[in-house]
Amino acid sequence: MLTFIGLGLYDERSITVEGRDALRDADRAFAEFYTSKLIGTTVEDLSAHHGLDIEVRDRAGTEQDPTPILDAAEEEDVVFLTAGDTMISTTHVDLRLRAVERDIETRVIHGVTAQSAASGLTGLQNYRFGKAVTLPFPYAHGGDDVPKSVVDSIEANLERGLHTLVYLDIKAHRDEYMTASTAAEMFADGWEDRLAVVVARAGSPEPLVAADRFSALAEREFGDPLHMLVIPGDLHHVEAEALETLGGCPSELLDPL
Amino acid sequence: MGRRKKIVQECEKLMDNPEHIRNIAIAAHVDHGKTTLSDNLLAGAGMISDETAGQQLAMDTKEDEQERGITIDAANVSMTHEWEDQNHLINLIDTPGHVDFGGDVTRAMRAVDGALVVVDAVEGAMPQTETVLRQALREGVKPALFINKVDRLINELQEGPQEMQERLFEVISDVNELIRGMTEEKDYDWTVSVEDGTVAFGSALYKWGVSMPSMQETGISFGDIIDMEQNDERQELHERTPLSDVVLDMVAEHFPNPLDAQPRRIPAVWRGDSESEIAKQMREVDDDGDVVFMVTDISMDPHAGEIATGRLFSGTIKKGQELYVSGTAKKNRVQSVGIFMGGEREDLDRGVPAGNIAAVTGLRDAIAGSTVSSVEMTPFESIEHISEPVITKSVEATNMDDLPKLIQTLQQVAKEDPTIRIEINEDTGEHLISGQGELHLEVITQRIQKNQGIPVHTGEPIVVYREAPTQASREVEGVSPNRHNKFYISVEPLSEEIVEEIRLGNIANDMPELERREALQEAGMDKDASQNFEHIFGSNILLDNTKGIQHLNETMELVIEGMEEALNDGPLAAEPVQGALLRLHDAKLHEDTIHRGPAQVIPAAREAVHRALIDSKVKLLEPIQNVRIDVPSDYMGSASGEIQGRRGRVDDMYQEGDLMVIEGIAPVEEMIGFSSDVRSATEGRASWNTENAGFRVMSDSLQTDKIMEIRERKGMKLELSPAIDYI
Repeated sequence: MLTFIGLGLYDERSITVEGRDALRDADRAFAEFYTSKLIGTTVEDLSAHHGLDIEVRDRAGTEQDPTPILDAAEEEDVVFLTAGDTMISTTHVDLRLRAVERDIETRVIHGVTAQSAASGLTGLQNYRFGKAVTLPFPYAHGGDDVPKSVVDSIEANLERGLHTLVYLDIKAHRDEYMTASTAAEMFADGWEDRLAVVVARAGSPEPLVAADRFSALAEREFGDPLHMLVIPGDLHHVEAEALETLGGCPSELLDPL
Repeated sequence: MGRRKKIVQECEKLMDNPEHIRNIAIAAHVDHGKTTLSDNLLAGAGMISDETAGQQLAMDTKEDEQERGITIDAANVSMTHEWEDQNHLINLIDTPGHVDFGGDVTRAMRAVDGALVVVDAVEGAMPQTETVLRQALREGVKPALFINKVDRLINELQEGPQEMQERLFEVISDVNELIRGMTEEKDYDWTVSVEDGTVAFGSALYKWGVSMPSMQETGISFGDIIDMEQNDERQELHERTPLSDVVLDMVAEHFPNPLDAQPRRIPAVWRGDSESEIAKQMREVDDDGDVVFMVTDISMDPHAGEIATGRLFSGTIKKGQELYVSGTAKKNRVQSVGIFMGGEREDLDRGVPAGNIAAVTGLRDAIAGSTVSSVEMTPFESIEHISEPVITKSVEATNMDDLPKLIQTLQQVAKEDPTIRIEINEDTGEHLISGQGELHLEVITQRIQKNQGIPVHTGEPIVVYREAPTQASREVEGVSPNRHNKFYISVEPLSEEIVEEIRLGNIANDMPELERREALQEAGMDKDASQNFEHIFGSNILLDNTKGIQHLNETMELVIEGMEEALNDGPLAAEPVQGALLRLHDAKLHEDTIHRGPAQVIPAAREAVHRALIDSKVKLLEPIQNVRIDVPSDYMGSASGEIQGRRGRVDDMYQEGDLMVIEGIAPVEEMIGFSSDVRSATEGRASWNTENAGFRVMSDSLQTDKIMEIRERKGMKLELSPAIDYI
């Protein structure tokens, strides 16, 4: 049996009760933290909290060599953990398909994902989001600015009046997380200076939401990771009000709407 | 005023008049006497003493050159010579003749307009004679011939006037046959002849020389020469008909000046717009024009640092100028400009004008082959050397503390000599240096030890292998680790015509798209394929056959990176792949950039290329050499045995004079240690020559063993992919 469990957004307590029970009942637990990370805890604390040794797999150990996970799941109850939800934004459906191929029973226990937090904290309605994008570190994609495909996707969303959720690149293995200020600066320089919303530390006791122009956001510090950005499309009047009230958006940016 | 100072002043006066400038190179087969001839010319110009010419080897300035008695780097010197009451400035480059240093010759030819080809009267035209002629003619450089060591015909072979003339005419007709073959498509006749005065004879050792015009002037006949040689009146012979006058007269009369040469040479070596202002300035050798300086050599001076030597085609290069260096974004500031006098530079604050060979410091980003200019321009064609490295040696610093210095030195070495390849491995500290032959690497490593004072360990020389497809593969899939990205690639052998054009630099990444397309079609690629051109790597080409795949543009760089990795380390033994035509047929990409980033795309492309190569029945190739041995007939059997015993093949044996000539080929690997073996097999009576002749597929019976041997050396797994079931 292979159970995919989303750990949620922030620390060892962000998991659902159902997920926690499944984790505690498991014979073995594997995890990957290269796609995202729980900022409020460590693997050791997580293991201690749930009373189970968690084996962390790197990218190669998950994508290229998943055999140990699948072998174990053939014999006993195995859980596979990621931050957020195991199937949203990450690509673990592949692992599930490989398990099914080997006739291993699988199940998914959802976790709270950044996508629901982005909508929930900003007040921007989930019905009105288009394609999401990731903004990579410049060195990671070889260019020195915002990749064209990212701009294309955002502009396609804007044309249809839709919001865009922008995930910011993380290189968890060397503790490197793109900040919202860096991202805002990249957009201001490489695209256009428009309204955007920063969401920092979603899921923590002290999340932060800030709405302003890219150029203004680029000047500010938003504290500890993780950060993400939302680029709003056309605003419903309630959405505008939420950005002003919850995100401190300067009203002149909302006026023309 | 010292003599030297006077010559500098004289040179300075002359360099503003292009019609009185001759830029020339001396080139020949090894040991035919180039450097001794150079000494004669220097002595004639009063730059070294007359007595020492012939022994001084003034142009072999490096200690190892004088020790080995051969020229290793091309060396430069400027001198003056009076001809028909007009003083001329002669900028001379002496080039190495040993096959391992051919890259230096190719680069030197870019700087000059005339090549004085030296041939030993006894040995006649040899393989390197042909190579240097080809290098000269390809660059649009006009040849003239000096037949050296005529004294040996008289004293050693005891030939009379009749026999001697016959032999000399034979040499001339051999050389002319080569020239004719290489200039078939040209509208000029550059064959040499005694009557025209483009041939001179003599002895560089005894410092005398004659040509038709000189014989008419001095009244000295072949009969006189024979008498004087035999009666030990060489000094008198030298005084009556000095070699330097005869040769320099020939240079002044028959070699083109820059005004004559540049209009012909610019189109041959530069691809820019011929209608542009800068093209006109170069054709006219305009010293008021924009600066256009082609770097042909980089050398290190302990005081001045890096010195870039090259040909100034237009403008005047001066201290303080900020100049563009091709291939880099920055400008470099010229710190000093001068000319060479023997091994030393003379700085000239007034600068050096168009048409001359200049020595420049401050061009930190320049490498041999760079175009340096005051305006941004199409760079000169890269100077392609014909042969690729065939031998590799590992170099390790004895003291760990020297490591940073060693890396720096190795990088410097690669900058000075583009035929050297360096692979730095910071993890193991064991760096690889690849070059043209055993001697080439030996000289380079010795210089690292001696000149830089870095003690190093070197490994045994290892031959460089290649891998190449032998048939067309099917379309093969490569999948990214997350399985969300797929690439479909096929591989087939690239035609020899196209590979050759790539090697010569006629098809390259950095040329206008339309021109490249035409060049590809001319070399035999069909029109549709040429339009899909995407990238060249080594002698391999990638075509993009896909249509309208979203996000592929952004991903292509990573595909290319994966392809390059796959081609650098082929699937058999991680040796470089050559002569492959790759086609990208289709790609499936993940929606989000992160999931189609480098960690995904590079391995997927690499896998696709390797699998396609295996499907194309990729095989191992080894470098081979042409071998020629000249040996008395008594030793013919033992000499030819030395070729046959080395997995070689004897192609031809014939009599030439009193010697037998054996010609054949043999693998480079087996040729390691050949020198001492053939010497002992023939009791020192053989002279031989080798020349790199490309790569050849190894026979099937040797493939597996060799592949496993290389894999073991590299610490790779000793089993091949099960798909490799054909060897």
